[in-house]
Amino acid sequence: MYQTFIGLEIHIHLITNSKVFCSCRNEFGAEPNTNICPVCMGYPGVLPSLNAEAVRKSYQVCMALDCTLNETAIFERKNYFYPDMPKNYQISQFAFPFGINGFFDIDLGGGTVKRIRIHDVHLEEDAGKMIHSGGVSFLDYNRAGTPLLEIVTEPDLASGEEAEIFLQQFRQMVRYLGVTDGNMEEGSMRCDANVSINEQGKGLGIKTEVKNLNSSRFVNKALEYEIKRHTKVISAGGTIIQETRLWDEDRNVTRSMRTKESSNDYRYFPEPDLPPYLPDKDFLQEVRESLVELPLARKGRFMSEYALSESSAAFVTGEKEIADFFEKMVQHGVAPQTAARWLSGDVQKQLNLSGESLKASALTPERLSRLLVMVEDGKISRDAAKKVLAAIFTENEEPEKLVKDLGLEQVSNKEDLEKVVSEIVNAHEKVAEAIRNGADKQIGFLMGQVMKATAGKANPKIAQQLIKNNIFKQG
Amino acid sequence: MDVMDLKITAELAKLALTEEETAKLSEEVARMLEYFSSMSEVDVTHLEPTNYVLQKENRTRIDSEKNESDIPDKILGNAPRREDRFIVIPNVL
Repeated sequence: MYQTFIGLEIHIHLITNSKVFCSCRNEFGAEPNTNICPVCMGYPGVLPSLNAEAVRKSYQVCMALDCTLNETAIFERKNYFYPDMPKNYQISQFAFPFGINGFFDIDLGGGTVKRIRIHDVHLEEDAGKMIHSGGVSFLDYNRAGTPLLEIVTEPDLASGEEAEIFLQQFRQMVRYLGVTDGNMEEGSMRCDANVSINEQGKGLGIKTEVKNLNSSRFVNKALEYEIKRHTKVISAGGTIIQETRLWDEDRNVTRSMRTKESSNDYRYFPEPDLPPYLPDKDFLQEVRESLVELPLARKGRFMSEYALSESSAAFVTGEKEIADFFEKMVQHGVAPQTAARWLSGDVQKQLNLSGESLKASALTPERLSRLLVMVEDGKISRDAAKKVLAAIFTENEEPEKLVKDLGLEQVSNKEDLEKVVSEIVNAHEKVAEAIRNGADKQIGFLMGQVMKATAGKANPKIAQQLIKNNIFKQG
Repeated sequence: MDVMDLKITAELAKLALTEEETAKLSEEVARMLEYFSSMSEVDVTHLEPTNYVLQKENRTRIDSEKNESDIPDKILGNAPRREDRFIVIPNVL
């Protein structure tokens, strides 16, 4: 039996207004080559200047991963010749990155947590985009120089599935921090994976690296493919060639990229145009205080504090906005289980219908809480609440107004209901007699008549009680 | 200098060397390296590396975008070949 070692290199695009070393706008999907300037285009004589917000967000990630922070962080030039970077080097960090030796705990379910060590976290600039077509390549440098944070794990993951779980939970975490939108399809989160296998206890084997993985599902599939391939080669007495391979998502295989190993030397050296960065105590204190409660901790707290089931807590804490929404509802007096059930059920259904995010929708914690309190107080039925919920999304109105407009208010007023009940009982004297003689089930028939007479708005609990009172009082 | 090392260095520097040039440079570069190697004789055991000599405090920029309208177009104007707003080069894939 072989042991598997998987390490990930994750790149996340940081959310900032401007690029990391110049003031060009940092945005996705702009007209080609509109956000460019002499700095990011590598003109001679220009000077890079470091974006304070990119630094701040980098340190948030370092702290969330419990990294040791280098007292002095140094930017370096990573030299390579390729037209996606007009300078012929990428400014990155190498020997002294912002953070080193951290960890991230992944939740494997059922209370099992696995600690994955983080090798380092470093800030760098992204390259431009290239489109290859026929005999030419088209270049768009809007992305060149946008802030990219690279997180490198130690080879602590043991399967494609663990890698997929790591990526999903890591993405959740960085979205909680608000440092990136984590969209893998748009490339704002990218991942390369390296994998090796070896006989138990013999340490790392010869690794291959897999690129072109734009979803966590593909990471899983590509790694499982590589593990099978390695196993086959090694079992047959062969050796793995250390190389970079591309995931082919159409054919579900990895393919060798055949790169020349001799040119794989980036000749890093300290960037002379940028001074080292020395995080001071006040800055670090301020960043530490800005950190939010992270998903794994929040899930655990929701299970103990609100007695939510594991799956329910996992759903509610899956996105920060849902978790925040949930806690506001609890503050407004909604029972935690009720809040979680509505958020994962009907609210989700409405969001899928409208295609909106919770934040952008007309639903607020206050509105949903007041609606559910009305159900609790017997003012409206649960079915009516579902109708009101749908109407909040389309009409953007307060729930009280919608209940009124849609005529959904339950009749709970005893005097009004008594009048209806006594009319029904009088009109069905034979049924009443049967009930007096023990035919309890016939109460359902009278209930149906009451509902019909009130257009379904009678409060069922009160109505049933009144029917019984009426029948047995006459008897 | 080892001929293989020289060939790799030349490749990284995008220099195409003939066999004659390689032979000649191999000797010359070896002399240069020897000259620089005199630096290794200095004892630096108790010295911190000097990465930067002018630093007084951290130098960062506030994260605000500056939109100077005609600069991107001027830069594009310098490109030898364009199509719409793309810069076009021979295929490098």
